[in-house]
Amino acid sequence: MISFIGRSAVQKMITLFFVSIVSFLIIHLAPGKPSQVDPMNPKFTPEMVERFRSEFHLDKPLTIQYLYFYRDLFTGRTVSWKDNQSVLLKIWERFLNSLPLFIVGTILTWTLSFPVGIRSALQRGGNFDRSSTFLAYLLISIPGFFFAYVLIIFVVTQFQVPVIGMETFGIGSTSPMTRFMDRIWHLLLPSVLGATAGIAVLSRYVRSQMLEVEGQDYVRTARAKGLPPDQVHYKHALRNALLPFVTMFGLILPGLIGGSVITESIFSWPGMGRMAYEAILARDYPVILTVNFISAVLVLIGTFISDLLYLVVDPRIRL
Amino acid sequence: MLTRRLLIIAPAVIILILLQSYFWVPSYEQQTRGNPDRLVQYITASAGDASILNPILSADTASSQIQSQVFDSLIDRDKDLHFRGRLALSWDIYEEAFFHMNPTAAVPGLSSSDPESVAGLIRSAAQTPGRWSGAVAESLANIQAVTILPSRTFSATHAFKGPEGAQQVDAQISAPARVRLVLNRVDQDLFKNLEPLLGAEYFSSFPSDAFLSTDVDLPPEQLSVLAESMVPAVEHNPIIVFHLRPGVRFHDGHVFDAGDVKFTYEAIMNPKNLSPRVADYEPVKAVEVIDPLTVKITYKRLYSPAIGTWGMGILPEHLLNPRALREEAERLDKDPATFTLRQSRFGRNPVGCGPFRFTSWKSDQYIRLTRFGDYWEGPPNYTQYAVRIIPDPLTQEMEFYAGTIDSYQVQPHQVARLSEDARFQNFSGISFGYTYIGYNMRRAPFKDPRVRKALGMAIDVDKIIRYVLHGQGERITGPFVKQTGYYNHDISPLPYDPEGALELLESAGWRRNASGWLEKDGRRLAFTLITNSGNQLRQAILAVAQDAWKKIGVDVRTDLLEWSVFIQERVNKLDFDALILGWQMGIDPDLYQIWHSSQTGPYQLNFVGFENKEADDLIIKIRQEYDHRKQVAYCHRLHRIIAEAQPYNFLYVRKWTAVLDKRIVIREQGPDGSPVYRKITPTKTGDYAYDFNKWIKLPGVPVFAQDG
Amino acid sequence: MSSATHSQTASPGDVIETPLGPTRSRFQQFWVLFRRNSLAVSGLAIFGLFFFTAVVGLLVTSGTQPLLDPAQVRLQEKLKPPLSRPNLDTLRPGEVPPLGVYLFGTDNLGRDVFARMLQGAWVSLTVGFVAVGISVVIGIFLGGIAGYFGQAAIRVDHMLPAFLLLFGVAAWIAGAKGSAIVLMGLGSGVVIVSIAAQKIWRKRPMPVFLNALRFPVLTADTLIMRLVDIMLCFPSFFLILTVVALLPASLYNIMIVIGLTSWMGTTRFVRAEFLSLREQDFVLAARALGIRTYRIIFRQMMPNAIAPVLVSATIGIASAILTEAGLSFLGFGVPPPHATWGNILSGGKDFIFDAPWLTFVPGIAILIVVLSFNLFGEGLRDALNPKLRERH
Repeated sequence: MISFIGRSAVQKMITLFFVSIVSFLIIHLAPGKPSQVDPMNPKFTPEMVERFRSEFHLDKPLTIQYLYFYRDLFTGRTVSWKDNQSVLLKIWERFLNSLPLFIVGTILTWTLSFPVGIRSALQRGGNFDRSSTFLAYLLISIPGFFFAYVLIIFVVTQFQVPVIGMETFGIGSTSPMTRFMDRIWHLLLPSVLGATAGIAVLSRYVRSQMLEVEGQDYVRTARAKGLPPDQVHYKHALRNALLPFVTMFGLILPGLIGGSVITESIFSWPGMGRMAYEAILARDYPVILTVNFISAVLVLIGTFISDLLYLVVDPRIRL
Repeated sequence: MLTRRLLIIAPAVIILILLQSYFWVPSYEQQTRGNPDRLVQYITASAGDASILNPILSADTASSQIQSQVFDSLIDRDKDLHFRGRLALSWDIYEEAFFHMNPTAAVPGLSSSDPESVAGLIRSAAQTPGRWSGAVAESLANIQAVTILPSRTFSATHAFKGPEGAQQVDAQISAPARVRLVLNRVDQDLFKNLEPLLGAEYFSSFPSDAFLSTDVDLPPEQLSVLAESMVPAVEHNPIIVFHLRPGVRFHDGHVFDAGDVKFTYEAIMNPKNLSPRVADYEPVKAVEVIDPLTVKITYKRLYSPAIGTWGMGILPEHLLNPRALREEAERLDKDPATFTLRQSRFGRNPVGCGPFRFTSWKSDQYIRLTRFGDYWEGPPNYTQYAVRIIPDPLTQEMEFYAGTIDSYQVQPHQVARLSEDARFQNFSGISFGYTYIGYNMRRAPFKDPRVRKALGMAIDVDKIIRYVLHGQGERITGPFVKQTGYYNHDISPLPYDPEGALELLESAGWRRNASGWLEKDGRRLAFTLITNSGNQLRQAILAVAQDAWKKIGVDVRTDLLEWSVFIQERVNKLDFDALILGWQMGIDPDLYQIWHSSQTGPYQLNFVGFENKEADDLIIKIRQEYDHRKQVAYCHRLHRIIAEAQPYNFLYVRKWTAVLDKRIVIREQGPDGSPVYRKITPTKTGDYAYDFNKWIKLPGVPVFAQDG
Repeated sequence: MSSATHSQTASPGDVIETPLGPTRSRFQQFWVLFRRNSLAVSGLAIFGLFFFTAVVGLLVTSGTQPLLDPAQVRLQEKLKPPLSRPNLDTLRPGEVPPLGVYLFGTDNLGRDVFARMLQGAWVSLTVGFVAVGISVVIGIFLGGIAGYFGQAAIRVDHMLPAFLLLFGVAAWIAGAKGSAIVLMGLGSGVVIVSIAAQKIWRKRPMPVFLNALRFPVLTADTLIMRLVDIMLCFPSFFLILTVVALLPASLYNIMIVIGLTSWMGTTRFVRAEFLSLREQDFVLAARALGIRTYRIIFRQMMPNAIAPVLVSATIGIASAILTEAGLSFLGFGVPPPHATWGNILSGGKDFIFDAPWLTFVPGIAILIVVLSFNLFGEGLRDALNPKLRERH
């Protein structure tokens, strides 16, 4: 166990090192350079460009830039080129905004996919199965932004209530309860949109796991014993079918920082995804690289946790 | 089965909780009815977030929108675009002019050219200007005082780029005596008009080199450049004296005075701050505080746009001076040596003396301002001002319909629908920017003005305005802002005339070949038209132009490039045939950077390579002329030259339209103290928010006072 | 390489029974199962229809004088609703749509949306197929290597020069020419030394310092799977967005970028299949017969490993089309003159109140096509999955 953890940690560190190099190279070798001040501003002079270049170390060789960047990142001194704010603080602030979306989205995904998936597995080939299959694929297949606009326009024109942003703007002086509910309302549409694909995929996965387990001998045995079907399905089968999902908890972790660029920019939700997108537009290299780095760390931690959970849960695997 | 029930109940409960929240959310009507606070808030939207709320550091529109509310400037422009005093009550502009005594020139009528007698000659001429004709008399009459400055010797170190890279040279200068002329008003022709008096060669034959010796031998041309900068024959020093408004306070209660003006200037010029506005203030020679309410700004040379630069927000010196910055750096445990205005928390917590004070800023969400009760002009009617950051135009529109934004910049195709909506009032005007097709005049087919003109004639710009802009645009013929007097309305735009275009091209040697393409000496008229991606209108023009040119037999390829690639790789490196771009213009008529022939190199803004001797002269004259009337005359001439050369096909200026809720009105105090309501009306120049501080939102549309 | 000791060959004395081949071919077996899934069959039908439309679209909208010109601007006919007739008075003869009606209306420049949709069908199809093609080729290649040759060790004398040369190239690109030359020189030096060492010490035991060079560091399998791990560390849409935003916009860049960022799944499938296949009897038999390695890989193993690849490729095409639409929405999609459904949709959304068809026609078209791909892929998976197969 200890040796597994140690080996895994070393491996992940090496992976992380290469990820940092690859992302650094991708960003710095792409054509086009960051422009701090709009280059088409008639007041802009080449000397200013030079000064910004040296300010951002862009005049140094790439290797030095790489070292500078990661030195700053690990000492927490990285600042955004766009507004000179600490990148880590910025990310933290955005992370807090993305968090409710992520939580509600995840809850929706996990609570909805299980009943749907189980039911369609139990009624394989039946009407419910067929229609839920079809619906799941429908949800995966809609271009996200198209679906978002259709929903927004429907709600705004039919009910004339605001749906954009994190709360109704200017609602300041009402009761805390109203404000809380207002926030929940604003969470509804974006988190539903964020969860649709997840629900569809996860419910399909639950279905196939259930089907697989239902075909196993011990389930047949249980059934043959004459146990009531509910007990067979929900006790014997479901428990074993759940096994792989336990490990999926680790894999949720990267979703924390991912955020959806498209949903967040449509709903002007000030989350991670939108910050990353705007950083790309502004070529704010420190922000892009830091987001990339943190999400890589989360992915690695996520897989690590999921490996560990697998060890813990599945008695067949022993190291 | 518990598990089974749980699996069904859990999602149902969660969905119910989410859905019931709908009943708590206010709809369009409820927002103003049940929430009186909403009426005193003005909420607007911006596509992008502000970068930094320090007027000397920011260069984006979102920041300047906020800054215009938080900071106040010395002057701004009134309804007719003339300057109007804000923090400055009034200002005087005059000039001090200098010339060095020329020992080599003989002055007609004087036996010896010693300073006393030359000064005496000018003095007596200035008292009796009638003996001279026209312009000369005018210049002489303008002279208020003549004084003599003694000769002086000094040394200076000068850095220059020599054959071995950067070098330094020590120069010993022994300058002759100078004569100082104090003028009532700025006069760029002064020395030309003194020539009849002092001799035609007096100024031009001044031997600057003779007064300078260097420790290193310089090449002659570099030496004379250095000498001319150290010992110039003549020098114009325009001077602006601002008389400041007494009793103005910053939001923190500190009193505003001349020191703040001087500090703002110094902060811009401080190289550590990397201010993008350095170029504006580079001509300033000195800023002196005469007394707490008087500040004198001396300029190195004639530069008439200079006054406009004082529309810049004034920073509070007491919060940002070196001592304050050092304290802040120490508090934050940062290195004081590298801690500048850019790092200071002031950039996200600005303090100015404008009508609104800064309250809070959530990145990519909103910026909130609160009314400043002690504003010198009286506090605004709104108590809150908020800018929300909403990147997507459709989302902005939805928020406007939901009532959580008060104004909305309408897209052209929506104007017709929204202007009929009874809930809204709408305003429109033409903007300060124009869109053009620019030709790289260094490349073969575009060297010929006939080709550029013909290409312009082949495009039906009116059709573009009518259909692409949905009528929300006007034609433009030259580089000046259409609302100002500088724009020459006598010039008519290029007609849409494909036949005429073909004739013009034929006269330039381009004929259609068997397959219909235009050819000259066996080569097709073929080029690539490029523009940046992400701009719908430019993309549309790209398609229209390609289509129109194909019809007259021009083989055009098109390319859309990402903005930074477009600018850095193509425009800055002058690697293009033709491009579609736009300029956002200032009101000021200074065209030096975009049209002067010295600005045609890579990374400069005259990337089309326009060169015209007369235009160059006019551009210089315009930026040196302080007399509005004369400036207008020069501008009209320059406009005509550029329109005839067609380095750009000037296409259109866009019209903007804004819609507001009808319930937003102007509220003023009537003579008896009761409120009087007026409809919001745009100024002559189309600025509907000119009276913004008097705006207020009402629960219903009121009865308006008669507009007198 | 382990020798094929496990394979059981029939001894000459045994009675060899006549081999009983399967009564139905693999394909027939598959088709019977597939046909039961009506959703998948309709998915296949729509897929076929889409393919046909795309080819027809390519034929009628390309060339210098296309039958339906998707780039024909008729500003006076802008934002006409579907099924409206052109106003013949204001149009020149060349501008009149050949169908005599705007089937799907016109856009903000008066271009025929139907023609643009036809053209876009082909472009969207190419984006999907090329992107997935790239990812499948990379996936099969790397997955195959990892699965088949996975246990082959990579030694220090392989790694060292490879790293030195790689860093040399990187340094060269980065502009540090001096260190680049040093690195590359060192790299080639190591190669020469190790080859020379092998020649000289072929008979005698090597000295320790040179033997260290031959120390096995890691296996090809580890290397490739770590590469997969590295790629999986990037949030995929964000990575695509970053690269596409930084590169000049072009159809090919988008296809390549989507392809280069989505091969990891295929690699894993193929590796897993190969790992299990290479231990199976028929492969061992083939190896024992001395059949050449590439033949074993391509003739014996590949057909057996292809099923999951096929499924993921089908679904991959669907997601590539969606990714392209998402990129278009953010302004980084395929640039004009290519019309794709994605950029028709994102261009149309600003007109959603004034011209809803500009949004709904491409939106629903994407929905249907992506749905058909997904359903078809799912049907494929079910029909090819032996575990699910046996119970019917």
